Amino acid sequence: MMKMVMRRMVFLVFVIFGVSLVTFILSHIIPGDPASMMAGQHASKQAVEHIRQQLGLDQPIWIQYVEYMKGLLSGDLGTSIRTQNPVIDDLANYFPATLELAIAAFIIAILIGIPLGIVSAVKKNQFWDHASRIFSISGVSIPVFFSGLIAILIFYGYLNWFPANGRIDMNINPPTRITSFYIIDSLLSGDMIALTSSLQHIVLPALVLSYAQLAIITRQVRASMLEVLSQEYVRTARANGIHGYNLLIRYALRNALVPTVTVIGTSFGALLGGAVVTETIFDWPGMGKYVVDSIAYLDFPAIMGFTLFISIGYVLINLMVDVTYFILNPQMKE
Amino acid sequence: MINPQIVTEAKEKNTKTHPIWFKLKHNKMTTIGFLVLFLIVCLAILAPILTPYDPAKINVAEKFQGPSLQHLFGTDEVGRDILTRILFGARLSLGVGLLVIFVAACIGIFIGAVSGYFGGIIDQIIMRVMDMLLAFPTLILAMALTASLGPSLHNAMMAIAIVEIPIYVRLARSETLVLREKLFVKSAVVFGIKPIPIILKHIIPNAVSPVIIQATLDVGNAILMIATLGFLGLGAQPPTPEWGSMISTGWKYLLDYWWYPTFPGIFLFLTSGALNLIGDGVRDILDPKSNR
Repeated sequence: MMKMVMRRMVFLVFVIFGVSLVTFILSHIIPGDPASMMAGQHASKQAVEHIRQQLGLDQPIWIQYVEYMKGLLSGDLGTSIRTQNPVIDDLANYFPATLELAIAAFIIAILIGIPLGIVSAVKKNQFWDHASRIFSISGVSIPVFFSGLIAILIFYGYLNWFPANGRIDMNINPPTRITSFYIIDSLLSGDMIALTSSLQHIVLPALVLSYAQLAIITRQVRASMLEVLSQEYVRTARANGIHGYNLLIRYALRNALVPTVTVIGTSFGALLGGAVVTETIFDWPGMGKYVVDSIAYLDFPAIMGFTLFISIGYVLINLMVDVTYFILNPQMKE
Repeated sequence: MINPQIVTEAKEKNTKTHPIWFKLKHNKMTTIGFLVLFLIVCLAILAPILTPYDPAKINVAEKFQGPSLQHLFGTDEVGRDILTRILFGARLSLGVGLLVIFVAACIGIFIGAVSGYFGGIIDQIIMRVMDMLLAFPTLILAMALTASLGPSLHNAMMAIAIVEIPIYVRLARSETLVLREKLFVKSAVVFGIKPIPIILKHIIPNAVSPVIIQATLDVGNAILMIATLGFLGLGAQPPTPEWGSMISTGWKYLLDYWWYPTFPGIFLFLTSGALNLIGDGVRDILDPKSNR
């Protein structure tokens, strides 16, 4: 297993290099001129020229690339044109909100998706199976912004059960900053008002974001449970009088989870894409909203910093998924 | 005694030998998918005949009217008929989805065939570039690409095509690796035919079917991505009647005039749902494991 991890780490270095090359190329084929964008509409030619020199845009392209890579290696993603902060600081500021939302969505997807898949497989071709299949096919077909729209219309506009913007009520102070996760922080500091408010705020965006993942997990668990349940060892276990919970969870599910883990990993990219849209819809102050706001300003350091950050995260998650796969599947140990 | 389970299993196996079309027809969900898609395609083609309104004509006097007999889905902020715009949007979404996947598949299959046929350093370079593209989450790479090229429908289409290419390259490459060793290809080489004509005439026609299947599975996805980019303001710009950008504009009026963003959303959902149902049917047939 160590060998596999090592090989993947080498690959990771290569991928990070490649990804940074792609983002560099992208930020240099911009049709607009970032220097004049930054200087503003009424700036003089000299001012624009000055900024261009400051940004190093008057240098030949390969020197710019060397500078860019030097910056990257020391954790410098450039300065955001919109907020005037270093991009890395901005991302660090917005990252916890995104992570909190993604984890919440992920937990919902697993907690509902796995049982639903099992029920669907056990009650194959019965009512619950059909219901859960329709539920999951809608999950992969519905765009995040449409499920978000329905959620807001019903649960905010009509029923008014949950708020639909931000992480916490405007009139409530965020909890003392410890982990930057509002829910955990308010628990740790015993701030019940902040806890209720932040829990209420996360419900709708987390549900909306989890739907696609949920659908994919349900589908995969159903398929692999059906496969596992028809295998000899399950039949033997049944013949030996093992049934119900024990048979399904301890004997069948463990093996059915192996392909599911891979599917969860590959669908994580979609979750990240979905997070961008979800945050925009629910005014969630995370990286996704940050990047969408930056796009309107043609703030390329911010956009490319975000893209690079997310891609590296994505590659790391896939590595974790592979390691989990090895742990779950002893056959792979050779 | 014959075990009845063996008999039913044998029967099930027997049905698997029927032609693809027979199986597609006998899958209820797939049939529903085909029907819905057929309906949407008809609506899109017949759009100018079906509606008396102009999708672009502004009529401020009739703005924000709720659903009624004159305007089944109501009107938008400048009094355009929403149903009309949805129908014209269907033309755009379906057309763009097909076009993007067609372009991506054509480029992908060629690159993949070249990569697999020549092997060696060319193969290495091409596949590493593809790995690089696959390292990005698709929507986020498409966003970054469109942002760099400048927000417009054309650039969004180009970005999605680029994002989709690696899938086809991989598929075509693995097919080519098998075909390259076949006798008819080897004899073509012996006859002195140059590599590119071999790729075009002998490899690609034989590698095309898995690519076509993958392409049908991807059209729905491409339509969703175009709409998502439109929603984020990166794709089609208003006043183009594109579903994503209609929903984006309508979003501002969501709580007062719910019908404005809701109906385009329903159509988008139906279209991608229908394509997914069909895709599921196709996948069930090709992968007997999932067909239980």
